Amino acid sequence: MAAAPMATRPVNPWNPPSFWQIAWHAVTRKPGRLIGLGILIFYILMAIVGPMLYPRMLPINPSNVYAPPTWAHPLGTDFEGTDVLALIITGSRYVLTSAGLAAFFTVGIGTMLGLISGYFPGLVAGVIMRIADFFLTVPGFPLLVALSTVWHFGSPVSMGLVLGLTGWAGLARAVRSQTLSLRERGFVEAARGLGLTRFEIIVSEIFPNTAPFVAMHFLMAVTGAIYAQVGLFFLGVVPVSTNNWGVMLNLAFSQAGAMYSTRALLYLLSPIACIMSLSLGIVLFLGAVDEMLNPRLRKV
Amino acid sequence: MQALWIRLVRRVVGGVVMVLVVTSFTFFLVHVMPGNPVQTELDTLLQQGMSPLQAQAQVRAMYGFVPHAPLYIQYVHYIWQVLHFDLGRSISYSGVPVLHLLMQAMPWTIIMVLTGLLLSFVIGMITGVLAAANRNSQAGDGLSLLATFLHGIPQFMMALLLAYVFTTIWKIFPFGAPYNAAITPGWNGAFVGSLLRHAILPVAAYALSGFGGWALAMRGSVTSVLGEDYIQAAQLRGVSPLIQLRYIARNAILPLFTILTLSIGFMFGGALFIETIFDYPGLGYMMYSALNARDYPLMDGAFLMITIAVIFANIAADVLYSVLDPRIQRF
Repeated sequence: MAAAPMATRPVNPWNPPSFWQIAWHAVTRKPGRLIGLGILIFYILMAIVGPMLYPRMLPINPSNVYAPPTWAHPLGTDFEGTDVLALIITGSRYVLTSAGLAAFFTVGIGTMLGLISGYFPGLVAGVIMRIADFFLTVPGFPLLVALSTVWHFGSPVSMGLVLGLTGWAGLARAVRSQTLSLRERGFVEAARGLGLTRFEIIVSEIFPNTAPFVAMHFLMAVTGAIYAQVGLFFLGVVPVSTNNWGVMLNLAFSQAGAMYSTRALLYLLSPIACIMSLSLGIVLFLGAVDEMLNPRLRKV
Repeated sequence: MQALWIRLVRRVVGGVVMVLVVTSFTFFLVHVMPGNPVQTELDTLLQQGMSPLQAQAQVRAMYGFVPHAPLYIQYVHYIWQVLHFDLGRSISYSGVPVLHLLMQAMPWTIIMVLTGLLLSFVIGMITGVLAAANRNSQAGDGLSLLATFLHGIPQFMMALLLAYVFTTIWKIFPFGAPYNAAITPGWNGAFVGSLLRHAILPVAAYALSGFGGWALAMRGSVTSVLGEDYIQAAQLRGVSPLIQLRYIARNAILPLFTILTLSIGFMFGGALFIETIFDYPGLGYMMYSALNARDYPLMDGAFLMITIAVIFANIAADVLYSVLDPRIQRF
């Protein structure tokens, strides 16, 4: 995202704006970012509140299969007569939880290993980077498919874990190269001179400088994790135990014959529209995150 | 030049090591699989009244190693077989060598994905140049936004959408299968026509989901080249726009060739979804059906093949870049 000229506001050096003021300013500066934030809040609320509104087992109705949209079923029904809107809402929790966890693990592992291998070049760093090379070279999706035969990632936590464990390498590389250059800078030298421990230097001097990049990567990792897990469910690689958007696509494609029926239009398009609008929201919001955390963009 | 050779040798050695690592990975993957497929197969064969020696021989042909032997001996056996291009035998295709099946699947993947890749590359280049040239206007912004949006749509959703829109809602293309089964394969017009018609949607799905990335990369590359001194000098000298464009394009396209080579490697595995959705019998489809049939030797073979392709495409990209750009002679 190119740095657009900032709205110039007089900054009182004695009373700098708080983080939330900066954040609010970064979000409201462009309408696209507000829309992005709105979409994100909408889906997060859906994932938190939504499943509480419906019974655990959604009712089926064999006499009302692939119904057109009505007031009772705003998005129509699926091949069993279940309300598509209910499926979408109850399915959002799994998708968001596992994608959030996956991004958390990806960023956590990637940042930590990147900082360590960047600040302590040597044998350990070499080993870490070789492992990163392995994950960067091996094609990710086939690897997940192969892994799924031994690891049952049905629950959001294990799904997030497996996506995190296979996805950290790119970030670790980037953080490492940033750390390598940061550790030679004057302020780190000064911190070393002041007698700060290595741990303090890494956590409070080097990490904040990589934070904007890491935060952006977090959001990108959420998008990536959504695609990856929906893809896995779509292929039917993971046993179908829960309801989520990927499972919906899988059933629509492989079992319900929705691909051959124009009546299944809404059933098929609803999960696709949700996934796409969610990732659109994330992409729109990215610029704001960069601006919030990156002091260089803020004080132009 | 010598530096290039040293670099090449180092990379190839590294690549071979990586292939060995991945091979070991697939070996241990089969080993920790739930229900140990090797043992299960052996038990089944024994129950069918086969003598233990016969059963062991057959299991060994399938998986490349026998149960009961010490782990390291099994491992050495397996690696030895893989080094001799023996990936075991398929279970779901009753005893056909895995390598044979993979070789059959390979052309489908290569033809379909290579077409899609080149198509998306060309469209992406043009879009990228246009977006960079008009980067201060609405049109340029619109193109960039379109590219960002398309870049964000994963392949399987693009494939699903295209399949649904053009085969179910608006029936203008055939769905599934690489060609019409009623036509006998051969070099006749009807067959080739059917082949092409069936390939349009998968190729389009690949090209549409890929071109956004190319356009964005090209836009960035062109924008940075436009800021170079030699371009400004050319403008000041009054060089005609067409020749200016040649200066720009030649320099901007350079970094994209590396990505292209990398993508050629990834294409072996990247088409898993598209092939599955359109029933296209390539490597990805093979891996998918092997997984569903619990045909582990075939699945591991496909995984190994995909990975080897990626590793060597990486090396090729690296070398190609040093050849194309004489400024890079580091190693």
